[in-house]
Amino acid sequence: MSSEVLAEQGLATPVDQGTDIAESLKKRTRIGEKLIEISLFTAGVVSILTTIGIVYVLFRDALDFFLLPEVTLTEFLTSTTWLPQTGNFGIWPLLTSTLIISAIAMLFGVPMGFFTAVYLSEYASPRFRAFLKPVLEILAGIPTVVLGYFALTFVTPLLRGVLGPETVQIYNMASAGLVVGILTVPLIASLSEDALHAVPDSLRQASYGLGATRMETSLKVVAPAALSGISAAIVVAASRAIGETMIVALAAGAGPKFTLNPFNAAESMTGYMVRISGGDLSYGSIDYQSIFAVGMVVFLLTLLLNIVSQRIVRRFREVYE
Amino acid sequence: MIGQDYIGDRVREDIYPQGDEANRKIRRRRRAGKAWRWLFIVATVSAIVILSVLLIKILNDTVGLVAQESVLPERELLLAFDESQVLAAPNILLESEDDPAIASAIADEPNSLGFIPWSAYLTQQDRLNLVSIEGQLPGAEAAGTGDYPLDRPLYIYASTSELQKKPHVAAFLAYYLQHLDEVVPDAGYFMVDAEQLAEQSAQIAEGLGLEELPAINPADFEGVINITGSSTVFPITQAMADRFIADGFRGTINVDPTGTTAGFQKFCIDNDRSIDIVNASREVLPTEFSACQANNRRLSEAVVAQDALSVVVNKVNTFVTDVSREQLEALFTTAEQWSEVDGNWPGETISRFIPSADSGTMDFFVEELFQRESLEDLEYDDLVSIYTANISKGRCRAVEREQRFYDDVLICEDPEKFAEVCASDSPPTGCTLPPREEPGLIQLIEADVIKPKVLASWNGIESVLRRDEILAEAAQKYPNAEVFFKSWLSWQFITSPQSSYPEIAGIRTAILGTLWVVGIAILISFPLGVAAAVYLEEYADKRSRFNQIIQTNINNLAGVPSIIYGLLGLAVFVRALEPITSGYIFGAVESGATANGRTILSAGLTLGLLGLPVIIISAQEAIRAVPPSLRQASFGLGATKWETVRHHVLPNAIAGILTGVILSTSRIIGETAPLVVVGASTFITTDPTGPFSKFTTLPSQIYQWTARPQDTFRDIAAATIVVLITMLLLLNATAIYFRNRWSKRLG
Repeated sequence: MSSEVLAEQGLATPVDQGTDIAESLKKRTRIGEKLIEISLFTAGVVSILTTIGIVYVLFRDALDFFLLPEVTLTEFLTSTTWLPQTGNFGIWPLLTSTLIISAIAMLFGVPMGFFTAVYLSEYASPRFRAFLKPVLEILAGIPTVVLGYFALTFVTPLLRGVLGPETVQIYNMASAGLVVGILTVPLIASLSEDALHAVPDSLRQASYGLGATRMETSLKVVAPAALSGISAAIVVAASRAIGETMIVALAAGAGPKFTLNPFNAAESMTGYMVRISGGDLSYGSIDYQSIFAVGMVVFLLTLLLNIVSQRIVRRFREVYE
Repeated sequence: MIGQDYIGDRVREDIYPQGDEANRKIRRRRRAGKAWRWLFIVATVSAIVILSVLLIKILNDTVGLVAQESVLPERELLLAFDESQVLAAPNILLESEDDPAIASAIADEPNSLGFIPWSAYLTQQDRLNLVSIEGQLPGAEAAGTGDYPLDRPLYIYASTSELQKKPHVAAFLAYYLQHLDEVVPDAGYFMVDAEQLAEQSAQIAEGLGLEELPAINPADFEGVINITGSSTVFPITQAMADRFIADGFRGTINVDPTGTTAGFQKFCIDNDRSIDIVNASREVLPTEFSACQANNRRLSEAVVAQDALSVVVNKVNTFVTDVSREQLEALFTTAEQWSEVDGNWPGETISRFIPSADSGTMDFFVEELFQRESLEDLEYDDLVSIYTANISKGRCRAVEREQRFYDDVLICEDPEKFAEVCASDSPPTGCTLPPREEPGLIQLIEADVIKPKVLASWNGIESVLRRDEILAEAAQKYPNAEVFFKSWLSWQFITSPQSSYPEIAGIRTAILGTLWVVGIAILISFPLGVAAAVYLEEYADKRSRFNQIIQTNINNLAGVPSIIYGLLGLAVFVRALEPITSGYIFGAVESGATANGRTILSAGLTLGLLGLPVIIISAQEAIRAVPPSLRQASFGLGATKWETVRHHVLPNAIAGILTGVILSTSRIIGETAPLVVVGASTFITTDPTGPFSKFTTLPSQIYQWTARPQDTFRDIAAATIVVLITMLLLLNATAIYFRNRWSKRLG
C-alpha cells in the first residue's frame, strides 16, 4: 500500500492528517490499570517484608542477648549447660535434644515413608492408591498438638511397658522422636511418590525387559532416577522435624539437659521457646531475649536445610527429554 | 511380557537350560523381591494402623466410667431446695416426726392441711378427708397399680447366697413372703398384687437354690435372726417375727428400727455379717449396692407392702376433694388462703401440719411433688437463691463484683457500697459486664456449691470389658462416690465456659476464640495472598531478578517453622504495635487498665502471615492452570490486563484458590505454638467480645490440659481433640466438595 493510502486511513506514521486517530491508537497509560498493578505488587512485597521482619526481629533481640554481660558467644556455642539462674547459657543441651529427636524421627520416618512411596508408586493397584492417599492426607492434616497428646498418653506408656519403667522416663526423647517420625511419614511419602511417579515408564520397561524383578526395578532403577526428589523430601522432612514444637513440648520434657540417652527427658530448642514464652514474660528480660537467640538458631538450621533441598532438586534433577 | 518364563520358582528347562547355578540365583532374587515387597506392604499398612490407633485412642479416652464424689451432690441440693420451699410456706402450725400426732392435729383444726402415711390416716379415719391427686385416691384399690402419685413400696433385702448356710433365716424369709396377707393390712399398709408377689417368690426361691418356696414349719428351725433398717417397715417385720415365734420357732429374732440408710450402711458398707435382713422404705442406692457386691453379698429385693402417703384435710373441709399437681404445689408452698389456689374455695387461711426436715417421708413427698431432675429445671431466680444460700457472704460479694446477677438489684451487698467501688480507679468487671445467664450460673453453682470431683476415671474399652471389676473396685476405694458412665464430650461441654475444675469445664470460650482468630487470619491472608499470586503470575516479569527473589522467598517462608512466626508476632504485633493491637488508640481499653497487646488481633495477624505463603503458592498454581488461550482471546477482544484477570482468569481459577484457602485454614486452625508465644491466655472465663479481647483457642486448650498430670484433664483434652478433628474433617469435606463441583464446571 502506498503511504498516501495508509496515511488516509490513519495507520501510517502520524503526519499532519490522522494525528488524532493515530494518537488514539497509541498505547495509553491507563491510570486504573497502573494503580491496580501497584497494589498487586505491594501484596507481593508483603512476603518480602515478612522475611525481613523475621530476620530483623530475630537478629536484633539475639544481638541484644549476646551483648549482655552474662552471655558470651563462645559460651553459647560450646557450653553444655543451660541454666539461666547460674548464668550458664550453653546451647548444646537444647541443640543435642533437638538433633537426637530429629534423628530418631528420621530413622523411623524415612524408611516408612520411602517404602510406602515405593509401594504406592510401583506396586499398588489404583483402588488401593485411591484408598491410601486420603489416609495419608488425613494423617498429614492432624494437628501436632493432637500428636503430642498421642505421644504422651499412648507411645510413652507403650515404651515403658515394653522396655520397663526404669529405662524409660515419663518424659523422654524417644517417644517424641517416634511421633515426630509419624508426622514426617506422609510428607516423605507424598514427595517421594511424586518423584518416583515422574520417572518415565520407559526406564521401568527397559529394566523388566532385561529380566529384573519388580523389587530390583524399583530399588535399583527407578529410585536412583528419582534420587533428587527423594533426597529433597528427606531434607524437607528433617527441616520439619527440627522445627516441630508441640510434640516435643508435650512429650520430651521441660528442663534443658545434656544427655545422649534417648530415654531420658531433655528439652529441645522449640520446647524451650514455648515454655518460656508461655509463662510470665517481661519484655527485655534475659529470658525474653534468650528465646530469640534460640529461635535464631532454629531459623538458621531450617533455612539451611530448605536451601539445601532446593539446591538438590536443581542440581541433581535428571531431566528426561 | 518378557519374564513370563520365570514365573514360578522353576525355570523352564526346555527353553532356558542354564543349569542349577543360574536357577538358584534366579530363585534367590525372586525371594528377595518377595521379602522386600512384604516390607513395603508392612510400611504402608503401618500408616493405616497408626492412624486408626490414634483415632481409637482418642475416642476411647473421651468416654468411660467415672467415680465422682460431690461435696454437695446435685440431687441433695435440689432436695434441700424443694424442702425449703415447703418449709417456708406460711402458717405452719406443726412440724413433727410423730405421724399419729400430726393426724390428730389435723383432725382438730378445721382449716388444716397435711400429708401422712396411710397407717396414720387410719388412726383418725372418721375425722379426716382424703384428697385425691389428679383423680387418684390413695387406698386399697390404688395400691399396687402405680396410679396414685404418692404410692411408695416398702422393701426387705437379704443376701440369698449366704442364706444357704443359714437355713433358719431362709425359712423366715420364705415364711415372711407367704404370710404377708395376714400381717400387712393390720399394720396399716396395703398388699402388693398377687402376681408381683408370685414373681418375687420365684426369684427368691431361685436365689436360695430351690424350685419354689416350700411350706415352712417354724418349729423345725432354731437360731438368731438380726434385722435392722426402716422404722416404717418395722411394724410389719415385728408382727411377722412375733407370728414366726408363736408358730414354734425355737430361736430369737431381733428387729431394730435404726432407719433405712443406717441399715444399708451396716449391711453393705460395713459388711456386718451378723445382720441378716434389711428393712427399707426406699430402694437400695447404687453405691450401697456396689458396696454389697464388693463384699460378696448379692442383694435380693422383695417388696412386702405398699404405703400410700396421703394428703388429708379436716372432715369439715368438703371443697378440697381433688387437686392437680400445680395446685398441690401451690397448696404446700405459697398459698395463704384456699381461694388463691381455686377461686371457688373460701378465703380462709390455710393451717399446715407437716413432717420435719429430717424425715424420710418429707424427702419422698417433695421429690414426688416437684419432680426436679437437675438444676436446669429451675428458674434463674431459684438458682440465685440456691447459690446465695450455700456460700459465704464474702464469696457472694466477690462473685457479684465479678459479674452481677441482676441488672437492677444487688443481692450480696449495699447498693451504695457497690456504686463506690465502681467509681474508684480500677473498677471490677461487674460494673460494666452484662448480668449473668443461666448456664453460667449453673456452672458457678457446680463450682462453688456442688464441687464435683472425679476421683477416678476409666477409658471406654475397659469400662465395657471390665465393668464389674471396676464397679467393685470403685465401691471399695471410693465408697461415697457415684459411679456412672460419662461422655466427656457433651452438649454441656461445648457450651460451658472454661473452669479450673475439669469436671465442669467447657470449651465455649475456646471455640469462639478459634473462630475469631481464624476469621481475622483469613480476612488478612486471603486478599493479600490472591493479590500477590495474581501479581506474580500475571504481571511480574518472570525473568526479572527481583521477582525471582520474591518467588524463592515465598517458597522459603512456607518452610519456616510456625514458632518462628510466633516470635515475629510477639515482637511486632504484641510489642511494637501494642497501641494498635490492644485497641488503645481505638479507645477500646478502659482508662487505667493496662493496654495489653496479647489480643485476638495480634493472634489473627500472626496466623494470617503464617498462612499467607500456602495461599500464594496454591493460588499461583490455580492461576497457572488457566489455559493461556482464554487470556489471549480476552486480549484479542481489546480487554485490558486487569479486565482479563478479573473477568476471565480469576473466575476460572477460583476453585483452586478456594482449595488453597481451605488448606491454609486447616493448617492454622490446628496451630498452637505461635499462639502460645503470642500469648494465648492460660485461663479466661469470659467469652471474647471483639478483636481486642484476650483469647484462647481449641489447640491451646488441648495443650494446656494435656500438660496437666491429672487423668480428668486428659479426658477433657481428648474430648476437645474430637471437636477439633471434627471441625477439620468438615472443612476438608467442604474443600473436596467444592473442588469437585467447580472442576466439573471447567470441564
